[in-house]
Amino acid sequence: MMYFLPCGKFTEYFRCVYACLCKKTRMPKYKLFLLRHGEGAWNKENRFCSWVDQHLSEEGVKEAQQCGGLLKEQGYRLDAVFTSLLTRSIQTAWLVTQAMGDEWVPVLKSWRLNERHYGALIGLNRAELALNHGEEEVRLWRRSYDITPPPITESHPFFFDIYNDRRYLTCDVPLEELPRSESLKQVLDRLLPYWNNVIVPEIKKDRTVLISAHGNSCRALLKHIEGISDDDIVGVTLPTGIPILLELDSDLQPVKPHELLGNQVQIQNAIRKVEDQGKAKKTDT
Amino acid sequence: MLIQKASGGVADAFLFRVRKFKSQRMAAYRLVLIRHGESCWNQENRFCGWFDADLSEAGVQEAKRGGQALKDSGFEFDVCYTSVLQRAIRTLWLVLDGIDQMWLPVHRTWRLNERHYGGLTGLNKAETAARHGEAQVKVWRRSYDIPPPPMDAEHDLYSAISQDRRYRDLSKDQLPICESLKDTIARALPFWNEEIVPQIKEGKKVLIAAHGNSLRGIVKHLEDMTDEAIMNLNLPTGIPIVYELDKNLKPIKPMQFLGDEETVRKAMEAVAAQGKAKK
Repeated sequence: MMYFLPCGKFTEYFRCVYACLCKKTRMPKYKLFLLRHGEGAWNKENRFCSWVDQHLSEEGVKEAQQCGGLLKEQGYRLDAVFTSLLTRSIQTAWLVTQAMGDEWVPVLKSWRLNERHYGALIGLNRAELALNHGEEEVRLWRRSYDITPPPITESHPFFFDIYNDRRYLTCDVPLEELPRSESLKQVLDRLLPYWNNVIVPEIKKDRTVLISAHGNSCRALLKHIEGISDDDIVGVTLPTGIPILLELDSDLQPVKPHELLGNQVQIQNAIRKVEDQGKAKKTDT
Repeated sequence: MLIQKASGGVADAFLFRVRKFKSQRMAAYRLVLIRHGESCWNQENRFCGWFDADLSEAGVQEAKRGGQALKDSGFEFDVCYTSVLQRAIRTLWLVLDGIDQMWLPVHRTWRLNERHYGGLTGLNKAETAARHGEAQVKVWRRSYDIPPPPMDAEHDLYSAISQDRRYRDLSKDQLPICESLKDTIARALPFWNEEIVPQIKEGKKVLIAAHGNSLRGIVKHLEDMTDEAIMNLNLPTGIPIVYELDKNLKPIKPMQFLGDEETVRKAMEAVAAQGKAKK
């Protein structure tokens, strides 16, 4: 029977048959929320913000408050929150926990949840880059798995803003070993020790965890948890301000695909908005 | 930066401490305390205690001003401590936002909570004074070791407070149903000694955002104050309180307030006026 199926369906069919044969039923044991922070000033200007530290815009603040309101309305309660060292992710976490009445919940911060380091592309406008290099090239830089942008150097206008910041003296690696540019693969490589050694133990204590982070740190973690392939991750776009629910079994395997919570029309609009950021802006002549 | 001494009745206590500090010692460490600003229940003049009241709009502004005072003076911190009550946590958040140090590690603990006012929690202070007399209210609020009546299971707020998830890890012995100031200090000081002091001694610059009575515990300990002296000390709200400490964590000079003279004077008078029965 299997030999007559189209090739593209073979893998999927095999997986289903294998699961049935194993009669493995995955029971949900843990809940994990991922949240990409809302709009920041540079998101509005469509620039690669990356490790430059910015607050949320007014819109971003609203997104975070709405997210908290939604989680509260749906009866979720948090036990621990993890954020990056970047203000916009911390601000998002504060607004969400405040909307839920959970300000007391411990919030732990780590550079390992920081946004992907975009190297020399930091501060550049995505749409202009697309005009100069083509939408596909920009999409590859943004969405590929192992392509690293050119590294940031001391001549970059934001180099010292980043590396002179005191927060990067508190990391678990020396300042000189912090990245100067990253692919998504490298994001996952530096994120995984924190996931395994700090976040997973909290989840396994039966704590409902929220990870308030960034587009690429959330994508990297999603890739790891859901086993998304290097090719397929290119097509994954996470909307801002929308809580992503993962229900995990006792081995931290997802029992079903991740769920974007909230109004589905708004969610699709939010995804389209992020995807449009990489498109070339055609100016009238 | 304007550093103002307290005025009015506290000036005497202040001068006493000035004389204590006459000997010149070097500052090895600096510590900043900040008492949260006005809460919605402070606004209504109610005993708040462990009830998780939010900051009022005035309290938000106080916290922002406190953050601005720290920013103007160029303060940088390494670690922050606060209670598990939102009025202190939000005060800390507003301050950290003001000084652009939101990335700092923040440790929350019930041990820095406000004093638990037991059966008085939720009661309007003026009505309580009218019912029990100003003298009894003053005793409950300002005595050192006399607790208010306990909060029993019949109390409207028992479930909201004692059964809240944030206290699920506390043992039955640890979870209070009422506290005297002595009790408050007895559960705050172990955290000060075991968690905060080691950080200070490692050279970390510490910011503590908490409540009137938990901060009084730290002040009493730092300055080796008598029970009576601490009862007469009203820490201002929303105003950063700076201590310079020697290597033994003894203050080398009296606490200093950051802010303008008018703000400091008004805040101290406002706290002293609470508890008087409205006729």
